[in-house]
Amino acid sequence: MSDSGHIEEDLQDLYENAPCGYLSLSADGRIVKANQTFCRWTGYAPDELIGKRLHDFLNIAGRIFYETHFAPLLRMQGFFNEVALDLVKKNGETFPVLVNAAERTDRAGRPQFIRLTVFNASDRRRYERELLRARDELKALTTMLEKRVAEVVAQQLRSDTALSSQRQDAELREQFIAVLGHDLRNPLASIAAGLRLLERSKLDEQAEAIIVLMQKTVVRMASLIDNVLDFARGRLGGGITLTLSTQPLEPVLWQVVGELQSTHPESKIDMDLALTKPVTADPVRIGQLFSNLLGNALTYGVEGKPVTVTARTEDQFELSICNEGNPIAPAAMDRLFYPFARGEVRPSQQGLGLGLYIASEIAKAHGGTIDVTSTPDLTCFTLRMPLQP
Amino acid sequence: MSVCIRNNVQTAGTGGPAIVFAHGFGCDQHMWRHVAPAFEDRYRTVLFDHVGAGGSDLRAYDPAKYSDLSGYADDVVEIGNELGLKDAVFVGHSVSAMIGLLASLKAPGMFRSLIMVGPSPRYIDDDGYIGGFTEKQIDELLEFLADNHMGWSAAMAPVIMGNADRPELGEELTNSFCRTDPDIAKEFARVTFNSDNRADLGKVTIPTLILQCSEDIIAPLAVGEYMRKQMPNSELVILKATGHCPNLSAPDEVISAMRSFV
Repeated sequence: MSDSGHIEEDLQDLYENAPCGYLSLSADGRIVKANQTFCRWTGYAPDELIGKRLHDFLNIAGRIFYETHFAPLLRMQGFFNEVALDLVKKNGETFPVLVNAAERTDRAGRPQFIRLTVFNASDRRRYERELLRARDELKALTTMLEKRVAEVVAQQLRSDTALSSQRQDAELREQFIAVLGHDLRNPLASIAAGLRLLERSKLDEQAEAIIVLMQKTVVRMASLIDNVLDFARGRLGGGITLTLSTQPLEPVLWQVVGELQSTHPESKIDMDLALTKPVTADPVRIGQLFSNLLGNALTYGVEGKPVTVTARTEDQFELSICNEGNPIAPAAMDRLFYPFARGEVRPSQQGLGLGLYIASEIAKAHGGTIDVTSTPDLTCFTLRMPLQP
Repeated sequence: MSVCIRNNVQTAGTGGPAIVFAHGFGCDQHMWRHVAPAFEDRYRTVLFDHVGAGGSDLRAYDPAKYSDLSGYADDVVEIGNELGLKDAVFVGHSVSAMIGLLASLKAPGMFRSLIMVGPSPRYIDDDGYIGGFTEKQIDELLEFLADNHMGWSAAMAPVIMGNADRPELGEELTNSFCRTDPDIAKEFARVTFNSDNRADLGKVTIPTLILQCSEDIIAPLAVGEYMRKQMPNSELVILKATGHCPNLSAPDEVISAMRSFV
């Protein structure tokens, strides 16, 4: 060190103990000189390195890539920079390095020797691996996120479709009810009105008989439409609506008997009504229920045998309709109150199979039930419901 | 897509017989820049890049097609058909020696002779056969490529500045040379180092020149010997040059060996 504070650089020491490894290779790639730093890092003595090739100190991947990529690159460009290689130390450990190389050529362009600087890249390689791992994690996360988003979108689409199909169902229901209520009932009402007009005019016997038949058909059709309408409301979401009152039920029951008797003049209906207590109910609905049950009894009953109607108000309101005739098949029993379920019927007796379903819905709306008993002697449908719901 | 664009086909020289130069695993057609011009006076030289390398169209890379060397050989045949090659000479470096061999079998008459520089029909040692690598070593290479993607990608695409010492190498050249898409490089390495074409050697009837370097860790001398024995119409020349790329490190020696053969 000089007095003025200047450091006299020791070039020999700079070469040997520089903060990087130095290697010099001959034109054919053999190591001719290595500095102390390189020896320290790799654990080899200088004479263990001299005469060897660089690839003797590389792992297998490094060897292959050095020969196929970096040696040609060096020959083509005269240099390469920042090539990542793993040196294998004398003790077998891996030592990650970055290597720069420069080729010295003669005037004719022939390589004379190659200089390599070797930088310790342990930390950098760790950092690269962390980056790589982070990238892979990010990739996995992104993949998972994309999958999740795709699932949510698909789910949303499905529920949108379901919602819109529910909405469509609701619209369809309303249209259906409107069609029944308006488009079917109105023409039927004009047919009924027309028949009443015709009834008053002078007609021959045959025409009168036809008009009576037609009027019965109109009544029957009106009741079918009522049933279908109730089915549509009840089954499709509207529900059976009740207008409750305590007015006596006898008048409505007699009215139904009157209507059905007129369409079944040959049948006998025995009425036994003992309604001593007031019943809270919707009389129109009770009438509809009764009409459905009595209509069935008249249809399935044996000609000439009476249909028996019993009504009681003791602990509860009981209305029982019984007829003689073939019993209901046990298999049919289970499905009796399902919509569109019918027993074995003659084609002329075919209705829609909604009568019992509507009746049971009306019973349910009143907090009651309809029970069936069927033996070879007698088939009974009995409504039981509380006096007050 | 034209195969000439797909494979970045470059032709030069006279209208004489054609001589096709194919690069191996690693760099691209520039590997031949010190060799090919020597043949331009009497031949029509054809150079190209395999799909995935150099100036090829990377979009044409189909992992299924290039899952074995046969896909690369199909490309050679397509190029030959496109250029109307007949009785041409095929010069293949490294793995392209086998690609050319397969192409010559696929299209008889297209090539009248083969020149193989540093070839190997099988890199992995096998019962009595010396390929130079154990199966474990090749697995290690492929594993290393798989988990050191970034390191290699950084290594293979170094920041290359203007090269004052070699003004003839334009920037375009230095930027593309030896630069490979890391994923394709990984796949090409797998296909190359797992290939086994020993059974195809005996099928070749056209004259074949095998150029072997004195010290080549990729293709040791025993491999050259083995090939000469398996190929009845072949000739083995051991070059003084060392390493795996004599076309770059000792072009004159390669040129003179080629000249005396063709």
